[in-house]
Amino acid sequence: MNWCVAETVSYTLFINSGIYTAVDSAQFPASAFNLTAEFSPENARIIASSGDTIHLRIINNDSLVHGFSIDDKVPLLNIAVGDTEEVEFHFFEAYIASIYYDPLAYPTNVALGLAGMIYIAPSHASTFYWNLKEFNKSWASILATGNSVDWANYYPDYFTVNGRSNPNINLDSNARIVGSVGETIHIIIANTGQSVHSLHFHGYHAQILYASESPNYVGRIKDTFPIKSMQTMILELIPDKPGEYPVHDHNLVAVSAGGIYPNGMFLTMLIQ
Amino acid sequence: MRSRFILALVFTFLGIIPLLSQTTVSLIGRNTGTKVLSDGNKIRVFGFTHDFGENPSVPGPTIEGFEGDSILIDFWNISQGAPHTIHLHGLDVDQANDGVPHLSFEVHHMDHGYYRFKAPHPGTYLYHCHVVSSIHVQAGMYGLVIIRPKNDTNVTWENGYSFHTEATLFMSEIDTFWHHDSVLLHEYDTSMSHHMVALPKYHPQHFLVNGKSNWQLDNQIIQGKANANIYLRLANIGYFYNRVIIPKGLHGLLIDSDGRPLPNALQSDTIEVFPGERYGMILAPTEEMDDSIVVQYINMNTGTIANEQAVAIQIEGYLGIEHPSSQAYSLWPNPSSGSFYLSGAPTPCTFRVLNSTGSLLFQKETTETSPIQISLEAHPDGIYFIQVISAQGSWTSKIIKQ
Repeated sequence: MNWCVAETVSYTLFINSGIYTAVDSAQFPASAFNLTAEFSPENARIIASSGDTIHLRIINNDSLVHGFSIDDKVPLLNIAVGDTEEVEFHFFEAYIASIYYDPLAYPTNVALGLAGMIYIAPSHASTFYWNLKEFNKSWASILATGNSVDWANYYPDYFTVNGRSNPNINLDSNARIVGSVGETIHIIIANTGQSVHSLHFHGYHAQILYASESPNYVGRIKDTFPIKSMQTMILELIPDKPGEYPVHDHNLVAVSAGGIYPNGMFLTMLIQ
Repeated sequence: MRSRFILALVFTFLGIIPLLSQTTVSLIGRNTGTKVLSDGNKIRVFGFTHDFGENPSVPGPTIEGFEGDSILIDFWNISQGAPHTIHLHGLDVDQANDGVPHLSFEVHHMDHGYYRFKAPHPGTYLYHCHVVSSIHVQAGMYGLVIIRPKNDTNVTWENGYSFHTEATLFMSEIDTFWHHDSVLLHEYDTSMSHHMVALPKYHPQHFLVNGKSNWQLDNQIIQGKANANIYLRLANIGYFYNRVIIPKGLHGLLIDSDGRPLPNALQSDTIEVFPGERYGMILAPTEEMDDSIVVQYINMNTGTIANEQAVAIQIEGYLGIEHPSSQAYSLWPNPSSGSFYLSGAPTPCTFRVLNSTGSLLFQKETTETSPIQISLEAHPDGIYFIQVISAQGSWTSKIIKQ
């Protein structure tokens, strides 16, 4: 029997704001939790093992007050401009994916980008990470200046995985699945957008190992995986044949960026 | 089917495993179709048809095959415009046959494209064009693929659920603006297979079940009989998601999704079907009914219900239920949390307990004259049937554990 020794896993997260440059060179304001003080649209991933003490140091590098929370785990922390807050927590279950986010003015700060994923391993499989997020370019400017929008009319126009759109998602080695026939591959998915995304796999079915929305989904073998806003899912894929196959949102409006097909939530898997 | 049976017999006698058949399907792709909407307006559609002279239908013809079959699709593109492909959604075909233009091939005007695949799993699948798929799917280039088990077409899969009839609800939407020539006849570069095209905003006005909406659904009645299972296939090729609400008297049991059995069947009268998903449900009506299945169309971005459509369902008769004669049999309490009592049964008799799909759970012979206790404590909540068999005849009654 292998015994895992719980450790303390530490991360420093910087709350940064900046300008997001989309795949079509459009630019709009966005925010993220980054590992450095420099803005990147890709939120940091927190990865630990079950039982580990996760120690987070969160620095508000923005010019507005921000918050930090993890549902059912970390209650709201308010972080003043320039301040630093620290928090410790544990997940005692393995194969759990969760979301940390800024709940202030919800969903404004999340819509601007302030939400990332937590994955509780250990996984001995090849592991890939998809943080799904969509943006409305015009609204981003409105929200970033503290104004409100009518979410009942939400119509996003940029659809991203780890902050990138097609074809740039394939440049992200954490997102693009590259593997071999027979290899066990785990895909950790968090939908930190406001829309539902329905991811369709070409070439393969995958099995749901974890679904935050309902334990009923665990064990299901499917080719299409709907993931609602602020929900997470872990999939296991064992490819049975080689090839390059797409994975994309089957809301076919979401495979666009700035209204241009196919620059949205679309990537490919490459199986040798 | 008859020739398959004879072949199977021959090979069985020879001690050889029967060969599975090849199914060839001819599909023609057209971009000059017309669809009449429920408001009387006509729109231009792209679509598939089997025959040269036919207007393409939306959805296209259903492709049917049997588990293990080799299926060949001969796709002939007769449309003077962008190329087309056939993506076999959920069938896990190899890359060459996957229908994604820049990763396999595309079929140009007057060309034939051949798609080959084996169908290892019974279930419900889709096919659709994957060239500028946002536009070509909305244009109407989609259909269903149904793979049935090889040995019995009235079961969901080998050792699965038996059913008497089946029905399909195939959901989609139409935004008429997307059917203007300015959108449908998008630019494409014949030297490239990775087409970049501007999409209009999507605000559908028409919400379809099996290509029909509103009054057009009046003749889409699902008909069944009491105590005869209906296998309901649900599929969504639209860009909204659906909430399908089943009348409680149908005792909906969710059993499969995307061509695979669920690890745990789920009693449910409401199921959400998202773009690209398919589900299978067993409906187990136990009494006459005249009701509707309601399909809601929900915006993926806002969660607002944009529309509802209703599909009538009529259940008649008491198939398989023998009513008690003059003997006053009774079962009580019903519903119950697990213990039921049967009184008035003739002696000797055999009582059998069946689940909602008609499978025997257990049976017992008895000569008891006092009330007989029947325990379903170890079984999940749901519909069950008690069948009493004696020299005086048989009697079947429904009980509900809840």
